[in-house]
Amino acid sequence: MKTAAPLDPISFIISFVTEYYPFIIEGFLTTVEMTFLGLAGGFVLGILSALGDVYGTKLMKVIIAGYVEFFRGSPLIVQLLFFYFSIPALTGLNWDAFTAGAVTLMLNSGAYQKGYFKGAIEAVFKDQLMAAKSLGMTFRQTLTHVVLPQALRIVIPPWTNEYVSLGLSTSALIVLGIRELTNISKSIAAQTFRPLEVYLFASAIYFLWITISMKIFDWIYEKVKIPGLEVNI
Amino acid sequence: MGEVILACEGLKKRYGDLWVLKGIDFEIERGQTKVIIGPSGSGKSTFLRLMGLLEPPTEGKIYFEGKDVYGSGLDLNMLRAKIGFVFQEPSLFRHLTALGNVKLGPKVVLKMKDEEAERKAMDALKTVKLEEWAHHYPAQLSGGQQQRVGIARALAMDPDIILFDEPTASLDIELTWEVIDVMKDLARRGVTMLVVTHELGFAKEVADEILFMDDGRIIESGPPEELLKNPKTPRAREFLRRLIGGV
Repeated sequence: MKTAAPLDPISFIISFVTEYYPFIIEGFLTTVEMTFLGLAGGFVLGILSALGDVYGTKLMKVIIAGYVEFFRGSPLIVQLLFFYFSIPALTGLNWDAFTAGAVTLMLNSGAYQKGYFKGAIEAVFKDQLMAAKSLGMTFRQTLTHVVLPQALRIVIPPWTNEYVSLGLSTSALIVLGIRELTNISKSIAAQTFRPLEVYLFASAIYFLWITISMKIFDWIYEKVKIPGLEVNI
Repeated sequence: MGEVILACEGLKKRYGDLWVLKGIDFEIERGQTKVIIGPSGSGKSTFLRLMGLLEPPTEGKIYFEGKDVYGSGLDLNMLRAKIGFVFQEPSLFRHLTALGNVKLGPKVVLKMKDEEAERKAMDALKTVKLEEWAHHYPAQLSGGQQQRVGIARALAMDPDIILFDEPTASLDIELTWEVIDVMKDLARRGVTMLVVTHELGFAKEVADEILFMDDGRIIESGPPEELLKNPKTPRAREFLRRLIGGV
């Protein structure tokens, strides 16, 4: 985009959005897609590791602790590079940046979600487990009918934090060259020489997306709330 | 002699190095109400949890309707479904209404259809006079109401016996009465009950036998008028003197 006289920021934003909007939309959708993949995979991993940690054998607890420590104790960017480059080297299995990125996000988010789920599962007090046992309920029936319906409600507020955190962390995918919102913004900024406006605009997209999402989660939380089940974990 | 529902022989329980139960023989027949009293730490609650099949004994045998519970490969969950248990804390499922709490067992464990389980649950709630509170959540009920829901939850399973572990210990005096009234009503209807409580009025009125536990053993037992008036052992005499004297 070449202009004789520099445009004022507002006019510039309008003009670059008009010109680049297909890329911006692509970047935003990739960001959202990666966030949802990471959260969904992390949800399954998080619940399973939390159940394993609360009810499992000693060996299971040790393995889960190792997994959680690794992903919570190292930077996401390092994890992304590690998985993208080391898995092909170690296994001969070749995977593209998108798959490597998605898997890493799942593993990373699972480690964080495990903590939230564990807190929520433990918030369902032991006396209720004893009561379920006295009715003759099996462990599985107790999980399905007593523990999870409560834990899944209790976990919504902390889980929203993980959504926000992971959603914003997807910008780290830039190191794998994935064309998400941050990466696209960087290209546009480099082409237009207007980093201020471009990154400002990108920030606004992140901000709006996260704010609207949080409102939706708040709404869901209110919708499924049960009196007396508010627990802070 | 009626049919013996629940019995035990040489029952012992150890936690780590501590023997909490040191050998108990006991039986209760259909329709009977037996009350256990005794100082805290005497093993009353442990005894009840073992009889409720919530924990296995370290030694000794438990019989349900004459069958050795741990010795003959019985399905413990099916037996637990026939033994009601009311806890000291109401222990209600906090995500379910009163009705939901009472309905869950019949539906999930007894595999009743939804309408059938609901009818069963409403009947049980009527018995504890809580039908108007059926759609309230535990947090919206008083302690006494919660405890009555706990009783209804046990009743709805049509158990052969209900065990009560100090059901009024965490309640104010007025709330205690409403729970005790429900329990007296059940005893008069012929529900078989084994009750740990210090409500001697309840024991006097409805118990067929009182058992005095101390230090992991039943050291004295007898009909209420006898045991409460003329305890034979010094431990029981001392305990009752303090309990009645309120010291």
